[in-house]
Amino acid sequence: MKIITPIKQVPETSNVKMDEETGTMVRDGVESIINPLDLYAIEAAIRLKEEHGGEVIAITMGPPSAEKAIREAIAMGCDDGILLSGREFAGSDTWATSYALSRCIEDIGDYDLIFCGLQATDGDTAQVGPGIASFLDLPLATYVSTVEKVYIAEESSYTEPDENSITVERLLEEGYEKLRLPLPALLTVVKEINYPRLPTLSGKRKARDVEIEPKNSEQIEMNKDNLGLQGSPTRVVNIDRPKVTRGGRIIDASEEGKQETAVEELVEYLKSKEML
Amino acid sequence: MKYNPVTEEILVELKEIVGGKNVLTDRDKIEAYSHDETPKEKYAKMPEVVVKPSSTAEVQSIVKLANRELIPVTPRGAGSGLSGGAIPDYGGIVLSVENMDKVIEYDFDNMMMVLQGGVITNNVQEDLAEEGLFFAGYPMSLESCFIGGNIAENAGGGKAVKYGVTGRYVMGMEVVLPTGEVMRLGGKRVKDVTGYDLKRLLIGSEGTLGIVTEATIKLLPKPTKEVALLVLFEDAETAIATVPKIMTETGIIPTGIEFMDRRSVQASCEYLNEHLPYQNCGAMLLIEVDGAEEEQVENDYFKIGEVCEKNGAQEVYVADNHTTRERVWDVRRNIAEAFMVISPEQSLEDIVVPIASIPDLIPELDRLSEKYDIQIPCYGHAGDGNLHATLVKNPEHSMEKWYQIEDECLKEMYEVTYRLGGTISGEHGIGSKRKKYFPEAVSAVELELMKKIKKIFDPNNIMNPGKIFDLE
Repeated sequence: MKIITPIKQVPETSNVKMDEETGTMVRDGVESIINPLDLYAIEAAIRLKEEHGGEVIAITMGPPSAEKAIREAIAMGCDDGILLSGREFAGSDTWATSYALSRCIEDIGDYDLIFCGLQATDGDTAQVGPGIASFLDLPLATYVSTVEKVYIAEESSYTEPDENSITVERLLEEGYEKLRLPLPALLTVVKEINYPRLPTLSGKRKARDVEIEPKNSEQIEMNKDNLGLQGSPTRVVNIDRPKVTRGGRIIDASEEGKQETAVEELVEYLKSKEML
Repeated sequence: MKYNPVTEEILVELKEIVGGKNVLTDRDKIEAYSHDETPKEKYAKMPEVVVKPSSTAEVQSIVKLANRELIPVTPRGAGSGLSGGAIPDYGGIVLSVENMDKVIEYDFDNMMMVLQGGVITNNVQEDLAEEGLFFAGYPMSLESCFIGGNIAENAGGGKAVKYGVTGRYVMGMEVVLPTGEVMRLGGKRVKDVTGYDLKRLLIGSEGTLGIVTEATIKLLPKPTKEVALLVLFEDAETAIATVPKIMTETGIIPTGIEFMDRRSVQASCEYLNEHLPYQNCGAMLLIEVDGAEEEQVENDYFKIGEVCEKNGAQEVYVADNHTTRERVWDVRRNIAEAFMVISPEQSLEDIVVPIASIPDLIPELDRLSEKYDIQIPCYGHAGDGNLHATLVKNPEHSMEKWYQIEDECLKEMYEVTYRLGGTISGEHGIGSKRKKYFPEAVSAVELELMKKIKKIFDPNNIMNPGKIFDLE
C-alpha cells in the first residue's frame, strides 16, 4: 500500500500567549511541532503499513523550517517525506493549500489512501482534508474513529471501481456511522482512532540522515494562479473572540432532602437527551 | 517537655499580631494543617491554632509569644512534605507562611532574586523565563511547594544530577530564630568564607532551628532546548547497570536520570492509560539533557541513547518537544499517585546510595519484597543514587500486621542501605516519619552535637519539637 499523510507544522500551543490588541497568537520563541491531530493520522497510516506492507509518505507545505515536521514524521516511522516550499505558496488559505497539496499527491501518484488529521490546532478549519479529496475527486470520510477492514485485491489494478475498499467508522455527535469506501480514498481521523507512538532513536537517526529537497511549483506542475495569497478566495476581515455558549449544569444535591429530587432531575435530564 | 495550651488570652494576642482573619481555630479549617503528604491515619496531628503572618515582624512577634508562653510552633510551607515536617506533633501553633508570597526583588544584574518564604517556587519561573533565566532548585512537587519549605527540607528533584539541590542556589536568607531574634545570613556574595557557614546549617534543618522568612536565590541562564529520552529495558539490573555508564562513557552530565522498575511502570502506565509498549519491559530510564544550542543537545542525546542501545535497551524513545516531554515525564510523575489507587497504605522511602552501588541494592529490595510478602515498587533519581523504594501494604494483611511489617522491613532496608554506603533520606528529610531510625543513621558523637546545636538555637524547644530527634 502507498499511504500519504499531509501534515502541518503548528506552534506548540500548551503555553500559548495571545496578543491582547490584535487577538492573534504570539509566535515568537514558540516551538514548532507537528499538528497534534496529524499524529493520529500518521499513526493510523503506519499501522496499516505494518499490517499490509507498503510505504507511508508525509507531505507538508510551509516555510523551509517545516522540514523539521517531515523529519519528525520520518522519526515516527514514515518512509519518506516531501516539503512543498516556495514564495509562491505564501499566504495560501485552505483552498489554495488543498490545491497545492493535491497537486503534490498527484505527482507522487499510485496511492491507495490519504490520512489527514481532523483539523490543525492553529486554524481549526478542518477544511484541508476534504479540500484535497475534492480536488482529487476522491471518496471522503471525515471524523474516522476506527479503521475496520482494508481490502486490497491481490492483483490490484484499480480498473474496477470497487476493486479495493476500506471500511471505517465515523464518530458522530449521536453515535457512529459505518462506511465502506472504494480506494483510493481520503480519511480525516479523530483522536479516538489510536494512540500515536513516540519517535525512537533509530527513527531519529534515519530522520537526521535523510535528504529533504524542498519542492515548489517549478518541480510540480501547478496552476500558479491558484497559489498563495492571490490564489486564495478567503480574506480575513476581522478577528473576534468566540463566546462560550456551552455551559455545564450543576444539580444541587449537597443537602439531605434535596438528594432524591436531584437524582430524579438527573434521570429526567438524561432521558431527555436520550442517554438513558 | 511540658507545653502550655493555647488559651483564649493567647488567641487574643495572636489576633492582635496578625489580625482576626489570619487566626484559624475552626476545626474544619485547621484540619488541612494537620497533615502533609505522609499517610494521614498514621501521622496527622491537629494544631490548636493556625496563624498566618504576612511579615517578618509578625513572625517575630508570634515566635516571641510562643517562646515566652512555652507553646510549640510548627512552621509550615505548602504542606507537600513527605516526612511529617510540617505536622504539629505537640499541637500548639502552626505558623503558615502562605501569606508571605511576595517577590521582594528581581536583581538581574546579579542574576539573583529575593523572595518571601511563602512564594510558590514554580510561579517565579514564568517571570524569569522572559528574562532567559530560571531557578534550578527543582523539586518534583513543583507546582505547589514554597521556597521556604524547599529550603527547610533542602529539597531535591528530577534535575539534581546536573543542577544539584535547593541549597546550592540559596545565597542568603533572613531567619526568625526560636528565641524571636531576626538574623540575616549570606547575601548576594558569590564567595563568602567569613566565619561558620550558618546558612548551610539552616538549609535542611526541617524547621527546627528557625523560620526562613526571606531568601536570596541564585538564578541560571535558562536552557533553550530540553530533550527527554524514555528508555525501555528488559529488567531492572540491565537498566541500573547502564546508569553510571551514561556519564562515564559519554562525558555528558544529563539534568536527570530517573529509574522506574516494572511495578512502577505498569502501575503508572495503567493509571494514565498510556499505550507505550510497557508490557514487556522490566524497567525504564528517563534521561533528560538540556542546553543552549539545539545541535549540541541533539548530539548529546544521540550519544546517550547509543550508550543505552549498546547496553541492551529494548527501545529508546525521544521526546523533544513540550508535548512529548510532558507525556514521558507524566509516567514518572504519576507513580506515587498510581499506587495510591492500588493500595493507599504505603511507606514512601527516600534512601540514597552511591551511584555505583545501585545495582547491588535492587536484588536486596526484591529479597525484602519476597520475605515480607509486600510489593516494593522502586523508582526515583537513579542519577544521584536516590531511590523511592516504596513499601505497599499487601491488601490481605491486617493493619496491625502491616505496621509490624513496615517497621521490620524498613529496619532491614536501612541496614542494607548503610552497608552499601548509603543513608535513609536523600531529599525528604527525617521529620517525624524517620525519627525512630535516625540514631542508627548517624554516629553518637554527631547526634549529641546536633542536640547541643538545637538547644543553643532553641533553649525552650518550642520550634517544631519532635522532629529529626527527641531531646529528652
